Amino acid sequence: MPEKNVRDMTKFERLHNSLATRTFRATLMGAIVLGVLALIIGLAWYAYLYCRQTVHQAFGISKNVQAIMNEVVDPAAMGNDVMTIYRSLTDEERAEEKTNPEKYYARYSEITGSEAHAIVLAILDDFRDSGTANDVYFAMYDKETKSIVYIADSDNSARTGVRTGSFESASEKEINKFLNWDEKKILYNIENTQRFGWICTSGVSVKNPDGSIAGFILSDLTLKDIASGMKGFAIFFSISMFIVVILLAVLMARHMEKKLVKPINEIAGAAEAYVKDKKAGVKYSEHFSGLKINTGDELENLALTMADMEGELADHEEDLARIAAEKERIGTELSLATKIQADMLPNIFPAFPDKSEFDIYASMKPAKEVGGDFYDFFLIDADHLGLVIADVSGKGVPAALFMMVSKILVQNIAMSGKSPAQVLRSINTQICSNNREEMFVTVWFGSLDLRDGTLRAANAGHEYPILKKPDGDFELVKDKHGFVVGGMPDAVYTEYELKLEPGAKLFLYTDGVTEATDEIAELFGTDRLLSELNKVKDESTEDIIKSMNDCIALYSGDTPQFDDVTMMCLHYSGKGATGLKQITVDAKVENIAAVTDFINSELEMIGCPFKAKMQIDVAIDELFGNIAHYAYGEESGTATVRFKYEKEADTAEITFIDSGVPYDPLAKEDPDVTLGVKERAVGGLGIFLVKKTMDSMEYERKNDKNVLKIRKKLR
Amino acid sequence: MLITKTRDENKLTVEVSGRIDSMTAPEFEEFLKENLDGVTELTINMASLDYISSAGLRVLLLAQKKMNTQGTMEVLNVNETVGEILDVTGFSDILTIR
Repeated sequence: MPEKNVRDMTKFERLHNSLATRTFRATLMGAIVLGVLALIIGLAWYAYLYCRQTVHQAFGISKNVQAIMNEVVDPAAMGNDVMTIYRSLTDEERAEEKTNPEKYYARYSEITGSEAHAIVLAILDDFRDSGTANDVYFAMYDKETKSIVYIADSDNSARTGVRTGSFESASEKEINKFLNWDEKKILYNIENTQRFGWICTSGVSVKNPDGSIAGFILSDLTLKDIASGMKGFAIFFSISMFIVVILLAVLMARHMEKKLVKPINEIAGAAEAYVKDKKAGVKYSEHFSGLKINTGDELENLALTMADMEGELADHEEDLARIAAEKERIGTELSLATKIQADMLPNIFPAFPDKSEFDIYASMKPAKEVGGDFYDFFLIDADHLGLVIADVSGKGVPAALFMMVSKILVQNIAMSGKSPAQVLRSINTQICSNNREEMFVTVWFGSLDLRDGTLRAANAGHEYPILKKPDGDFELVKDKHGFVVGGMPDAVYTEYELKLEPGAKLFLYTDGVTEATDEIAELFGTDRLLSELNKVKDESTEDIIKSMNDCIALYSGDTPQFDDVTMMCLHYSGKGATGLKQITVDAKVENIAAVTDFINSELEMIGCPFKAKMQIDVAIDELFGNIAHYAYGEESGTATVRFKYEKEADTAEITFIDSGVPYDPLAKEDPDVTLGVKERAVGGLGIFLVKKTMDSMEYERKNDKNVLKIRKKLR
Repeated sequence: MLITKTRDENKLTVEVSGRIDSMTAPEFEEFLKENLDGVTELTINMASLDYISSAGLRVLLLAQKKMNTQGTMEVLNVNETVGEILDVTGFSDILTIR
């Protein structure tokens, strides 16, 4: 397996790995193996046939010699005579064949000198010279001495010249094979001799009248021609094999190229072009359907399937595009709806900058794009503020539609000046008259008399309002609940009255607040709501709402918001109060002027005397200056300055809040103001100066913030 | 804050108007640093000074310390607010106020 991706390969590497090349190589290898095998088998067959023919030839010669000998002499008798002499000799006498040949051979002279022997030799010579035999001879095996004993050998001095009576050792196997010959098969022996190389010997036995073997007429034929024959065969075979193999491999490769590689490359090319088109954004293409692959096999099927897929994908893409467009349209509409709904609720704060009796802040965070919660506040007349918080059953678009209707109805009916219970009753009647979807809405409606803080309210199945008395904590007001609006015609609502003292705060909310859940599905709950509220009870309405929203977001963590979260907070300051005003700026020395301007404009509105104003300005310079210089060190941060005027006490209250390092200016000892000029330290006078000119000064470290409050009676 | 000066040989009269606070005090300090050389009689006229914060008091203290080494310093026409501030901080005892 090549490790490199095929696309990273060079042209040569690609060609090397191509299916056609591989087929070529595989065919070549296979054919070579087959060829070698065939060559081996062919050579063996050739050798076999050659040997067989030689054996037959040798056998034929021997047989002819025997037939002729039998006609003219008695070869068996001659054999017996020789063997009788041979067997009568001792080992020493036989050894004389080498040491004293003349003496040894003299023992056979009677036989060699006979006429019969001369005839036998003549016959043998004749056959040897006329045939292809190397040697034709008459011999007998002697079992005892494991030797072949020559009775007569064709006499050719140039070659063997083996004399009668000479012997040489023979293998036991050969001796047994010859002496035990059953005359059914051709008798032969193939042997590699030192003298003549590969020799094939075959012959027939010469028998005594009693049937025993007197000797053998044997013919030796050389097999030396077999090697050159085989060589020729091998060369011829190899050359033809080579040509055939190359031809076959080329043909196979060409076939593969045509039937496999080319169609695959065409499909790959089509796929490449298809991808390119898709990237360029072309919707319809005919790369696969345009392919002409008629191989009639799996490849053709593949090409057809790809063409089908191409068509299907194009259709599918069109569907997707349509769905996406539709989704986008709905998304746009919903985001527009979100804006419309948000704009329907009063969302510019401060809502009534010219009304000093109260300060109000509210927020609505829908769980989906649009919500079913709403809050509302409006002046019914110059002295009455209408307050509404409501929650429509369900969420999303249906709830939002119902919410819009409810909101308009509430305000329209409330503006008529009816009492809160009557207002709820009228809304209920109107909504019930046309409510087939069985939607309903919980509503808390109150009307606040701005002159004396009297709040008249009625509750149609909504959460308990939460009230904070001027010096107290936020507490639930367990008012009497009527039935939800839209639930039942002729529902009756109880009206009740609360007295808001100057400094009181009213907190209204929907169940999205108390039913916000954390990761383990535990509810935020009323108790947690109260305790969190009381942590920020002295903050402005805006800060209370914002910190409660943060608190809920922190509590929920990654849990998706399940319900709309809506809150409204009212701070009642009383008639003639300026209410709570504040400015938040970066804690920088340059901003002293902005803070001073903000406080001065408030002081001018209430006709503050010049001297008190100057003293307050000095206090701002000292206190805000301190925050700007020291609160955040090298870092940057913000500081909030609040202004409040209590008319009855004719007292201005200014609070400085920063999130910097804890610092209590009151903890510092007053400087000794009686020291002379030389002993006087430079600085340290600011806080002392403020202490002296203001009526009170309090420091508090709260919620990781420094809160410094000064009060000054103006007149 | 606005500073005007009148130099008559080794006499320097300075008139400060508006406010001497954290923002303006450095400017006042710089002014005095540049103009006090060779002055033996320094007069600061506070007729149109609205108020002075501790940053301003620090400059007055530095000026008084410097003048103690080379001459005299007087403060004129202090209004009620500034006067009270000078009183509570004990500056009335340090400065020569007329």
